Amino acid sequence: MTLAARTWGRMSLTARLTAILLPLAVLLAVGTVVGIVFILPPTMDFLGANMPLVRFVVAVVGILVLTIPTAFVLIYMELKVIARMNLRVGPNRIGPWGAAMSLFHGFKVLSKEDFAPTGADLTVFTLAPVVTFLASVMTLLVIPFAPGIFGQDLNIGVLYFFAMGGLAVLGLLMAGWASFNKYSLLGGLRSAAQIVSYEIPLTISVVGVVLLAGTMSMNGIVLSQSGSALDWFAFKQPLAVLIFFIAATAEANRTPFDMTEADSEIVAGFATEYSGMRFGFFFFAEYVNVFIISALLVTLFFGGWTAPINWPWPYNLNWLDAAGIGILWIPIALVALVVATDILGAAIWLIGGREWSAPSAFGLGLLIAGAGVTAAVGLACFIAFDWVQGIFWFFAKTYVFVFTFVWMRGTLPRVRVDQLMGFAWKWLLPASLLNLFVTAAAIIILNQPVIPR
Amino acid sequence: MTGIWYVLGLAAAGVGFVFLVIGLAWVLSHRNRGDGDKGLPYESGIDTVGDTWGRFGVSFYIYALLFVAFDVEVVFLFLWAIVFRSLLLGGLVSMGTFVLVLMLGLAYAWRKGVLTWR
Repeated sequence: MTLAARTWGRMSLTARLTAILLPLAVLLAVGTVVGIVFILPPTMDFLGANMPLVRFVVAVVGILVLTIPTAFVLIYMELKVIARMNLRVGPNRIGPWGAAMSLFHGFKVLSKEDFAPTGADLTVFTLAPVVTFLASVMTLLVIPFAPGIFGQDLNIGVLYFFAMGGLAVLGLLMAGWASFNKYSLLGGLRSAAQIVSYEIPLTISVVGVVLLAGTMSMNGIVLSQSGSALDWFAFKQPLAVLIFFIAATAEANRTPFDMTEADSEIVAGFATEYSGMRFGFFFFAEYVNVFIISALLVTLFFGGWTAPINWPWPYNLNWLDAAGIGILWIPIALVALVVATDILGAAIWLIGGREWSAPSAFGLGLLIAGAGVTAAVGLACFIAFDWVQGIFWFFAKTYVFVFTFVWMRGTLPRVRVDQLMGFAWKWLLPASLLNLFVTAAAIIILNQPVIPR
Repeated sequence: MTGIWYVLGLAAAGVGFVFLVIGLAWVLSHRNRGDGDKGLPYESGIDTVGDTWGRFGVSFYIYALLFVAFDVEVVFLFLWAIVFRSLLLGGLVSMGTFVLVLMLGLAYAWRKGVLTWR
């Protein structure tokens, strides 16, 4: 028996834990100091020197990552909201109120068999979901989420959006053609005819906005609506909003225009032969599309990230930083959380009596303290930073329209194919052209100068 | 010029993401070749008749033709909208004439019954 083993055998449990943890803690501390002193500055310098590249990577990864929680939230919203509208309960087993349902839907789709029929054209069959997903993700590049937070402010933003969004037709057509199934073929062709028809009124209704703003850049359009809610283009272009909303519903293949997946007529349309993850990407893209269409509606007609009322914020919270504390507010907030949890938990435990065990009392204390600290930090950020406000308003407005799309799915029946196509060409197209020329005439009559941006 | 790199980069990253996830699903999921009937197209349980990659209704084709005419018009409309503040009345008249000619074409198609789905 060596000396080390004999010493180890004579140590108590506490001493053994200390013997293991103390060197680890020392190593961690030394590592942190070395990291901060020697590794952090060169890394920051390196990142600072390559700032455009860093922004590029962050933007691309951010846009891709944003789609995942968006799709999960929308799937859950659709399940739950429609269930409540049908007087059902909806998902309630996984997570609180069934909130983790769509996450497990994702895992389920991931583990399912990805099968292609024997007669299918495998290359096109595999590429179709890629094209569909890409068409919806690429459009997110030009949407401004907040001042300074956007993928890229292209000067042809609106045109880019419709060019990329139009590629979705190609994906659906490829899926329908490659599946070697008559239902799929019919679904693909229907989607091509429908999306292509509604693309025309959709784009022409936006030309009115471009006329008013005098620019195609999304940021420019948002800035020309800044002020209060009365400056939004929705009030200058009410007909365009209506046309855009109807045509966008058809573009996103949503009820009442979901002819491409009309399950009572053509099984599942273009997606009949798809299964597993390739099927998953079609529906991933569909839910991201609902978000994108709502986001575009908000950006073009409802002021984007601007606030509906004109207030004096962002306000420089100098008094919060009077002692020059700066970034130390983060540990202070954490300490405040711990202290408040202890005080609240102790109070609940003392007052509550026998029914409250210590863990549940402190758990409740943590919940209350966490909510309070989060609210305080959120409010301070909301007042101090314009981009926090921008993100808040943008997502609040967008989810109002997302809710409207879900609401429509819960209430409206599907239209007939002939009514669908006739409506686009006989009503929406003349109406959108009328809107365009009335806007142009109004600009000439009022001869209003370009809205300053 | 940075815009084009963002577009290309996002496209590449998107394609990579999709194939990564499909590849992950390929690894995770079970696969079963099954018998010969498994690969048949699903047409509500009825055996498929004839060739799927054959002929289909001409109505789809005519809508696509109409779309091409109007989509090119939309591209012109966007450019016209940007410079409209400097054109004013002249711009309105010329674009009105252009759209009028296209609308005559639409009226002709309407009269011929093309817009009625058959």
